[in-house]
Amino acid sequence: LQLDHGCALHTAAKHCFSPMVSQDVQTPAETPRAVFYTSEKDPAKHTEQHEGQHYHIPLEEVKAVFPHGLPRRFQQQIKTFNEACLMVRKPALELFSYLRGTNFAHPAVRYVIYGEKGTGKTMTLCHVVHYCSRQGWLVLHIPDAHLWVKNCKELLPSSYNRERLDQPLQASFWLRNFKASNEHFLQEIKTQRRYMWGKRESTEEGRPLGEVVEQGLARVRVASDAVGVVLKELKQQSDLGSFRLLVAVDGVNALWGRTTLKKEDKSPVSPEELTLVYNLRKLMVNNWKGGAIVTTLSQTGSLFKPSSAYLPQELLGNEGFDALDPFVPIPVPNYSPKEFESCYRYYLDRKWLQHEK
Amino acid sequence: MAPVSRALRAAAGSWAVLSWCCGTAMGGPRFGAAAYSSVPAVSSRESQTKEVSTRRRGRIPQLVKSHVPPRTEKMAVDQDWSSVYPTAAAFKPASVPLPIRMGYPVKRGVPPPKEGNLELIKIPNFLHLTPPAIKKHCAALKDFCTEWPSALDSDEKCEKHFPIEIETVDYISSGTSIRNPKARVVTLRKTEMWESEKSEEDMEEYIWENSRSQNNALDTLLQIKASENDSNVTKEDLLASEVVKNYRSSVIALKNEGETEKNMSQYKESVKKLLNIQALP
Repeated sequence: LQLDHGCALHTAAKHCFSPMVSQDVQTPAETPRAVFYTSEKDPAKHTEQHEGQHYHIPLEEVKAVFPHGLPRRFQQQIKTFNEACLMVRKPALELFSYLRGTNFAHPAVRYVIYGEKGTGKTMTLCHVVHYCSRQGWLVLHIPDAHLWVKNCKELLPSSYNRERLDQPLQASFWLRNFKASNEHFLQEIKTQRRYMWGKRESTEEGRPLGEVVEQGLARVRVASDAVGVVLKELKQQSDLGSFRLLVAVDGVNALWGRTTLKKEDKSPVSPEELTLVYNLRKLMVNNWKGGAIVTTLSQTGSLFKPSSAYLPQELLGNEGFDALDPFVPIPVPNYSPKEFESCYRYYLDRKWLQHEK
Repeated sequence: MAPVSRALRAAAGSWAVLSWCCGTAMGGPRFGAAAYSSVPAVSSRESQTKEVSTRRRGRIPQLVKSHVPPRTEKMAVDQDWSSVYPTAAAFKPASVPLPIRMGYPVKRGVPPPKEGNLELIKIPNFLHLTPPAIKKHCAALKDFCTEWPSALDSDEKCEKHFPIEIETVDYISSGTSIRNPKARVVTLRKTEMWESEKSEEDMEEYIWENSRSQNNALDTLLQIKASENDSNVTKEDLLASEVVKNYRSSVIALKNEGETEKNMSQYKESVKKLLNIQALP
């Protein structure tokens, strides 16, 4: 029953068990699904009346929109229940209202989702990603920025800039997933200048961005530079307004923290010496328009941070805070009683919770 | 009866001088002595010692003074006070013509009066430092002083030549102790040259001016204005505007006081107003 830790028993179950028992005695199989389930599949149409209810994402869409974005526990849940159901909650609805009202002529606004451990920040981010991809935005989803600052087996000195370090494995993994989710965009967007990959290969100006991605996947050594090129191009071109760009980063505090990587001479690597982090940081600055930046802070997976830290300044540090300032903080609280009830009703319906006691 | 009455009066007088808690006028003890003394007086001294030994422990002085009215009754209103208390001295109730009471009022009573009041004698008093007395001190000291140097006529010149400033503060407060712990704080002020090179990490508290937060906010606002083709707005205008001031106070609160629910929500509101974020349901 390890999945229970994720949502159901998180809040102190003080009130909800007694009504559950009484109701189960009366109507075991007829608990209406409408309490916890809504058939509204488009996040754009979710409103406050859907708050607390789960909505269903078809599995093909899951594969297309979230090739790598969902948390591991949720992926296990999808496999177990054979369906993906996400709960509609207030922070996500709030973000939708802001995104709907964004003025795309203004510089991109940064939103930081923060909250204690296990309250649903990553799931909120996924909900936002689903919404934006349904609306036709180009979604640049980095599922966990912490993966880029730790446990890296190969570190190559960057060919582009001698002081920086490349991470070919992480970069190619990310490129593969990015390609899976944004195929059609990659054919439409064209490069704006010529890029040289090493001495012989190059991508000409005006070629679709998909070629850059292919280059990165084919030649793993230049994958990090390919990622850098993709980010730069997208940033420049979203200014022109042909598409809307959503930058969704989970665990953004990794970009300004410390790394556990070491160079060959055992000296520690600071984040800005990594090409991937360096390029991503450039994207987090709000000097481009035509989109939005939605990020989450994450303590799990963060390095050298106490496990009780969850507030923006604690996790971002001074440098990170100054870099993201001014941002709109979005707190994500634990489940409210209504949401909790909805969650366990869903589990009951899925026959996950078996015993009434 | 005459020797008896004189002895009684004498005994009563000595009682008045030595008594601890006389609350009423002079006549009281006399009545008390009259009520208590039942031994016939043979000679004044013997009667006194015998009476007193039945009443009180301790000796009385051999010299018996007839009771003298206190000096306060002879003081004029415009007298020279610095001759009454020329130096620091204990509180003498007969020399201070003020109806002071001090002490704990027992059983819903009033604080005890000044006569024989140990509380008033214990505490330090400043009766010797009244303003006219101090004026006299200054006048006396003037002969030993030189003139203020005429070149130091402005504050900046003083600071330039004498950069070190030591600040001590004295406090007057009522409490169980005459000392106030805050008075131990002595401030030394001197701005060293290297302090101008103080970097942001060294700052004790967060100053928003010239910080990254200010730069970010101003850049963002300038970009917004530029996108609306409103390029006449200057930095000073932006800094003086209401939204920026709001934002500034919320950032300072966040940095200096740490993060609380209230601070975060205040910051959120100020950023929403700053960036003009609309919420469309």
